[in-house]
Amino acid sequence: MDSSSPFTPPSVLPDISPTRGEIMLPSSPSPISSVAREAPAEKSPISPLEGEMSGRTEGGAVECCRLPLALLPAALLPTPAFAHASDRGHVLLLPTGYYLVGGAFAVAVSFLALALLPADWLDRFWRRRLPLFAFSDRARIAISLISFAGFAILIVAGLFGSRDPLSNPLPLVVWTLLWAGVTLLQGVFGDLWSWLNPWCGPWRLASRLLGTSDEGFWRLPRWLGFWPSVILFFAFAWFELIDPAPDDPARLALAAGVYWLFTFAAMLAFGYRSWSRSGEFLTIFFSMVARFAPVERDEKGRLGLCWPGAKLLAAEPLPPSGIAFLLLALSSVSFDGLSKTFFWLGLFGINPLEFPGRTAVIGSGTFGLVLTFLLLAAVFLLAVTLGQRLAGSDQPLGQAAGLLVWSIVPIALAYHVAHYLTALLVDGQYAMAALSDPFALGWNLFGTADMQVEAGIVAGAESAWWLWNAQAGAIISGHVLAVLVAHGFAWRLHPQPARAALNQFPLTLLMIAYTVFGLWLLATPTVG
Amino acid sequence: MTDKNGFFDLSKTTLSRRTALKGLAAGAGLAVAPGFVRYSQAQSSAPIKIGFQSHRTGIGAAYGRWYEKTTAAAVKAINAAGGINGRQVEVIIEDDGTDPGRGAEVVGKFATQHKTDIVFGTLFSHVVIGSAPAAGEAKIPYFVVSEGHHVASTKLNRYVFQPGITDVKSQIQSMAPWIAANAGKKVTQIFPDFAFGYDHRDYLPPALKAQGAEVIAQIAIPPTESSFTKYFPQIPAETEVIYHVMVGPAVLTFVKELGEFYGSNRPQLFGFIDSLEAVDINSPGLEFLDGSHFWEGSPRYAQPDDSAAQKAYRAAVGIDDNGAAVGDPKDVSTAAHMFGCWETLYVVKKAMEDAGYKGPEDRAKLVEATEALTAFAEGPEHPQGPKTFNGKIHQCFGIQNISKVEGGKLKVVHKTKIEDGLYEAEGDYTKQAL
Repeated sequence: MDSSSPFTPPSVLPDISPTRGEIMLPSSPSPISSVAREAPAEKSPISPLEGEMSGRTEGGAVECCRLPLALLPAALLPTPAFAHASDRGHVLLLPTGYYLVGGAFAVAVSFLALALLPADWLDRFWRRRLPLFAFSDRARIAISLISFAGFAILIVAGLFGSRDPLSNPLPLVVWTLLWAGVTLLQGVFGDLWSWLNPWCGPWRLASRLLGTSDEGFWRLPRWLGFWPSVILFFAFAWFELIDPAPDDPARLALAAGVYWLFTFAAMLAFGYRSWSRSGEFLTIFFSMVARFAPVERDEKGRLGLCWPGAKLLAAEPLPPSGIAFLLLALSSVSFDGLSKTFFWLGLFGINPLEFPGRTAVIGSGTFGLVLTFLLLAAVFLLAVTLGQRLAGSDQPLGQAAGLLVWSIVPIALAYHVAHYLTALLVDGQYAMAALSDPFALGWNLFGTADMQVEAGIVAGAESAWWLWNAQAGAIISGHVLAVLVAHGFAWRLHPQPARAALNQFPLTLLMIAYTVFGLWLLATPTVG
Repeated sequence: MTDKNGFFDLSKTTLSRRTALKGLAAGAGLAVAPGFVRYSQAQSSAPIKIGFQSHRTGIGAAYGRWYEKTTAAAVKAINAAGGINGRQVEVIIEDDGTDPGRGAEVVGKFATQHKTDIVFGTLFSHVVIGSAPAAGEAKIPYFVVSEGHHVASTKLNRYVFQPGITDVKSQIQSMAPWIAANAGKKVTQIFPDFAFGYDHRDYLPPALKAQGAEVIAQIAIPPTESSFTKYFPQIPAETEVIYHVMVGPAVLTFVKELGEFYGSNRPQLFGFIDSLEAVDINSPGLEFLDGSHFWEGSPRYAQPDDSAAQKAYRAAVGIDDNGAAVGDPKDVSTAAHMFGCWETLYVVKKAMEDAGYKGPEDRAKLVEATEALTAFAEGPEHPQGPKTFNGKIHQCFGIQNISKVEGGKLKVVHKTKIEDGLYEAEGDYTKQAL
């Protein structure tokens, strides 16, 4: 939903607006078990079988408990924990291997089919639009102000409402409705966030009151590009994935409140449009995702329908900071999945059946978050470089990578959907209940305070089958669409069919590999 | 919906259980606000504050959700009957993320920030072990519902109690007489190769030996294993009973592969429902379990001879005859364990009343009053069954259920005696200073 009003949260991506673009700014054990035996257990009448691991030295735990309290490193104790036979158990019984092969095959076939299509056919197909109706931007400020008021109420609820993260609306709104839900809505309905964000209205009011110009007091240097948002997105991803308690209402209220203030100050200092384009990571992420949506709004405010991903094709190349941002968005969600797998925990000697908790994996998590990003970036750049060489192109790498990285958007969106689907279905219900009584005062604002949360919606073999298929479908479709988008860009880079196909080949291999990786993440044993 | 004292009087409302907890938690939030003096002048009418260390997120979340439902139901019932010492009960939930490090922090928050009277409700053993020192340091009574032997081992401290659920050592030991008499004398154990499995590895053989049976093989499966076929040839041919306690997402695969290995001609199977807690026993892959037996703390399925107290308890918590949430049949409960929350809260009530408990300054009196308890009669407060309590080791002892998978349900075929699970005390908490 791009628009031309002065408050239009600038399409955030200056370089992706076909009409106004300024082009290129230069992610149950059993409760049972014992601490340890005081004396060595009675000697087993049977000698240990071959293959039995020695396990941990259990005797130490006993003595541990007698040490000064501060010296008690909980994680070092033998820690029986209850590994619940979770719904992943049902997935383990599904023929997921076929899906992995089938997914890879589908992506490969898409590539081949596209290579054989006439050059201009796809282009004409993508350009089709179905105009709908026009509407003005007048309500934008008012909606943003309402959004801000809601945000402020949530912060107060976070500080003073229920301490239970499943009863307090703040964590549920931020992690479930906003991060999981709005992303999905952006991918379907376009840039709703440009209307909903809680800064636009307050900024307009403040800048009017202060008499400051729309451009703020200082100019951000062009070389800064998206780098501030890359750093802030990393901080956000770290908080979500690594911090010990991102769901703690007060902790989250503090983090979100400080971030709002910081952003608000930056917008006053550098201008709303400017900071929305280079620093405010949510706006940047959401608008990138919105580029995938089958809904667009032109400069006259007219709404129309297009093919999913069609808007991506009109994008201009992203600068290196933009490439980093998109790859970080995908790698962080990928790492969230990876970090819970038996495979990853095994690398660090962590028994997944007695998962020691987030406080025990901060180091490995931080390492993994960075590593996943670096690996993805390296492989992506390698694929683009190889493609350029195969096509005999003399275009700069940055130009080709900046353009082709847009094909990551459908994949990032697909990972997001697959990854957060169950949370959205269950925690979304908790959110509806919590919103009816934000301060836990016994209110029932929307009549949903006492609704029964049906966790069974994602439980059992049948649900596991549906969920798996929905998730696998999302992953595979996302990658097929990515191939489609990359194909479009390859044409743009190399009008000759053979060179375009060669240029795209290494990237297609990467996408096939990422399809298999994405499906494997959903099929392999995980904690929780 | 609040009364003049600022807390909910649930006896006068039709609040849902969830609202009961959530609403009561509100006072907690306000209590930390500056200038909060609401109860300062009126401690006698202020609510009893229970800090619920809850596994709301992390690997314990499936259990945490049902522990919360059971706790809410118990609190609602206690308040409806007049509370504790005439004071209403307020529950403050803090999420520990099923994380020992975070658990200790949460206990600290309860003690210093929320100033709760006790801390309650922890399930996972590693969180209990990680949090117990913090409770000891803050001298705040810590009532866990974890099933671990850690409390009874007397290796924690005087402030930690487990009065609402039996410990795993007692559970395992009490299974031996029935296994030896009904299933077979030659037992092969299959267990995950870490502490949870070791309890079964170590406690079962001597218990079986005392009954004239023996463990003839112990097969430890690495925790990260997701395919088990290669381990099955290690099962001796003369095995009469396979005793299995696998946990984790690969349990269904384990059962399916065991079924494929044996076909229709299998030894007797005996397991602990911990393997399949909150999982539908009729899930695809579990067909092989038909006719096998499980330990259950409290029966998941309603039984024909359920007591009135058991029926009332199930209705209050909101589980149907299949042990799933009323109105949400796929949401299978953690019935074998969660009753412990209900019973623990009633023990707290009894101990507080015995101690004439008035506030945090009486915490030591509460510890001594709890230690003085000796038995809990079966009834509305203890629907799972009668229990004895050993104040020296802060652990209760009770009956266990052995259930047979029959017609897609778990049917209780045997109830053990309290004596079956008794063992020598390994220490004495009462000798520790308060």
